[in-house]
Amino acid sequence: MILVIAEQRDGRLNRATWETIAGAQQLAGQTGAPIAVLVPGANAGVAAKELAAAQVKEILTLEHAALEPYTPDGYTAALQAAIAELSPAHVLLPHTYQTRDFAPKLAARLDRALVTDVTGVKAAGSDAAFVRPMFQGKLTADVVPLGPAPHFVTFQIGAYRADQAARGQSPAPVRALSVNVDAGAIRERPEAPFQQARQAVDLSQAERIVSVGRGIKEQANIAVAQQLAEALGAEIAASRPICDAGWLPMERQVGSSGQTVAPKLYLALGISGAIQHLVGMKGANTVVAINKDPDAPIFEIADYGIVGDLFEIVPAIIEAVKK
Amino acid sequence: METVAFWILLLAFLGAFAAQVARRVQLIAAAPATISIENPAARASRFIVDVLLQARTIRERPLAGLMHALVFWGFVAFGLYTTTEFLRGLGIVDLTHTGWFRAYRLLLTPFAIGVLAGILFLLVRRTILRPVGLGTKVSVESVVIALFIATLMITFLLTFRLDEASPAGRVNWWVHAVVILVFMALIPASKHLHLVLSPVTVFLKSPELGNLPNLDFEKEQVGLETVKDLGSKSVLDAFTCVECGRCQVNCPAWGAGKELNPKAIILQTQEALLAGQRERKLGEVYSEKVLWQCTTCGACENQCPVGIEHLPILIGSRRGLVSNGDAPDYLGAMYNNLERRSNIWGLGYDQRTKFIQSAGLEIFDAAKHDVLVWLGCAGSFDADFQKSLRSLFSILRTKDVKFGVLAKERCNGDPAKRTGNEYMYQELANGNIDDLKAAAPKTILTSCPHCVKTIGDDYRKFGYQVDIVHSSVYVEQLLRSAAAASGSRDVVTYHDPCYLGRYGGKVDEPRALLERFGAEIKEPQRNRDNPYCCGAGGGLLFADKEEEPGSRISDVRFKQLQATGANTVVTACPFCSIMLKGAQASAGADTQFVDLMTFVDGKLTKA
Repeated sequence: MILVIAEQRDGRLNRATWETIAGAQQLAGQTGAPIAVLVPGANAGVAAKELAAAQVKEILTLEHAALEPYTPDGYTAALQAAIAELSPAHVLLPHTYQTRDFAPKLAARLDRALVTDVTGVKAAGSDAAFVRPMFQGKLTADVVPLGPAPHFVTFQIGAYRADQAARGQSPAPVRALSVNVDAGAIRERPEAPFQQARQAVDLSQAERIVSVGRGIKEQANIAVAQQLAEALGAEIAASRPICDAGWLPMERQVGSSGQTVAPKLYLALGISGAIQHLVGMKGANTVVAINKDPDAPIFEIADYGIVGDLFEIVPAIIEAVKK
Repeated sequence: METVAFWILLLAFLGAFAAQVARRVQLIAAAPATISIENPAARASRFIVDVLLQARTIRERPLAGLMHALVFWGFVAFGLYTTTEFLRGLGIVDLTHTGWFRAYRLLLTPFAIGVLAGILFLLVRRTILRPVGLGTKVSVESVVIALFIATLMITFLLTFRLDEASPAGRVNWWVHAVVILVFMALIPASKHLHLVLSPVTVFLKSPELGNLPNLDFEKEQVGLETVKDLGSKSVLDAFTCVECGRCQVNCPAWGAGKELNPKAIILQTQEALLAGQRERKLGEVYSEKVLWQCTTCGACENQCPVGIEHLPILIGSRRGLVSNGDAPDYLGAMYNNLERRSNIWGLGYDQRTKFIQSAGLEIFDAAKHDVLVWLGCAGSFDADFQKSLRSLFSILRTKDVKFGVLAKERCNGDPAKRTGNEYMYQELANGNIDDLKAAAPKTILTSCPHCVKTIGDDYRKFGYQVDIVHSSVYVEQLLRSAAAASGSRDVVTYHDPCYLGRYGGKVDEPRALLERFGAEIKEPQRNRDNPYCCGAGGGLLFADKEEEPGSRISDVRFKQLQATGANTVVTACPFCSIMLKGAQASAGADTQFVDLMTFVDGKLTKA
């Protein structure tokens, strides 16, 4: 059996659970094992109903005082008992912060292998191999966990798409599971959860960023960049001098003394590419740079470079995007 | 009768003096021992220059310094006079009628006039001119002391006019004697303790600016956490401070309107020690925020005329904070970069390899190459600074110097060391030392002054000694006979990097190069071995603006450079270049920046 551990709070499902189900379905395609999804925590029924749409054998709910509020001791104890009852071959989890908190403890408690941050599943002879990044993503490794079952696997967020998970023709049956947990085993006493005050603008999550530098010349010209950002559905950002001048708020500054961003597309308008700016956007997938100076360092790291006047080029791009 | 009275008075005041001094000596003795007399020759020469010749006192404030020197020399000259008079007053021996004493007294007259002139000038300066470094409140006690000193000189001069045995003569003698005694009792609890301590403190000051012994992790040293962790030299420093404020007015952070004031750091230390707050956290005594505002430029320590070392306190306290996980967030990110990628930017080493290939560099081989060129974090990754390195390579090739680079470098550890992350520093340093020992270069050449300081000075504390030289110094020698392309002279200003000019003392070589290759240098205020920092040092390259009160140090420095009227700024440090270019971009100025090597390479006539 493949056991997927869902993550939910008060009936609200973490979407990454669906991604893990997609991974589980791929693994099931290789091993032929049935999939069960375990939903721990209070109000598990609500999330279970949603998950029943998935093409899986069954949904199990696990409600217990030891699971509320979340503690690594409580989860470890309850899941240890559930795993003993279900004896799965694989236990799959989304690689969330919560998983990172308890999964190593759970695997260590059972003395079983744990493969983390997995991005894919492969066949390796009769076994399944799990693909995971190494050395800051410079290499990937195919890992075949050894030793007795179950093997624990956590899936990187975004490695599978939630809509990849196959839905069943009829809802999967939902069954309540009960376990015994010694409340005395829980040593943590968490306080009420709270959200740390965030920056008003969180550029780190932006998929597309249009960033302006000194080459924009004056504040009025920011509007040109703004139009491009709107056309692309992008966030607007800037290098330090722009924010220093107050042309854009400080929280939109990218670089070593501003935010660190990793969008899919980073459009650098009139940014020379001083190192302290580059280190803030080195994680961008695709960098497009527009600059008048062909020697600007930004071209060293740009995937696409346009040497020319941004006031000619940007309107042309806006027009092209609108078509 | 007079003899008995004098005995009683002397013993009483001497007792008051001794009791107060003993308290301070106990505090010094109770502190962890950090006093060293290693390299006595350098210390002796500092003693002669700074104490006997008063060079550091005069250098920055010529008039006030000279006046102070007059008072100081007068005090020294009067030593034997006071002793002789006291011996007589105590009825031990009367030498005042000997021929040599009469001659000595005559010789003292010009000294007395010098002291009188000096002290009256200093009194006027303190009460009327009131320079900012002396603080906002007029110190009453300093006024009293100044009047005391004036009285001493006047009463001495009066001895030439008054008959000693006459009532007026006796009164005059007694006024002189009692003033000395009261003065003595006032000394220990005041800044005038520097009269006694500063010659000692100057001698004990490390010959190396910013000397920070390695932490010994085997002994579980974690840096300075509380007042009781302050080393004995720091405690001595706290009691030696004369409150002149040279450290304050030279501090770039203070100059940019931030809260850090090195003088306040020393006085807060003194206050905490005297209040017996041994367990008080240093982050509280100084405020954590203030401790993170230091660029470690070394101006405070270098300008101090009484031998105080500020950096061991500032960086030592940072060590204590880092050990407790209390570093600011921006440093956390930088430490991550150092830990994961061994460079401050967190970039992958493939970029350095690409640069090595594109610049046609060879991997160093001691049998084949004359020098090892150390690229550093900036040289390895900053495309902008790599341009200046290409200029350096071009110069070296023109003069047929054979050079190579290491296949891999780590950051030298400077940003970790100066922000108090000693563990990471030692890890980086030890890794580099292993690689450098294996490569065994005779000479290392680098364009980064921080690498020169750290690899040259700080690595010695691991027993690794190597000749590392900054490109300005190496190239100046290399091109002594080279002819520059003729043409018009360029008007430039030169920004001395703190780690080259102040720490390294290399101020003439860059200027010689510039002048040889056709530059006319407009000196900015704060230059040579007392430059105003660019604001990058001590990890502040990474600081967020929100966390910085006041203006940016780099903006202040950029304005000083702009004020020279030169439209070209020559830099010789990658981090100065980054900071000042940032300030220039923020100011929207059209000032040009050029690295020293690029300037020279552009002017060099090549065969």
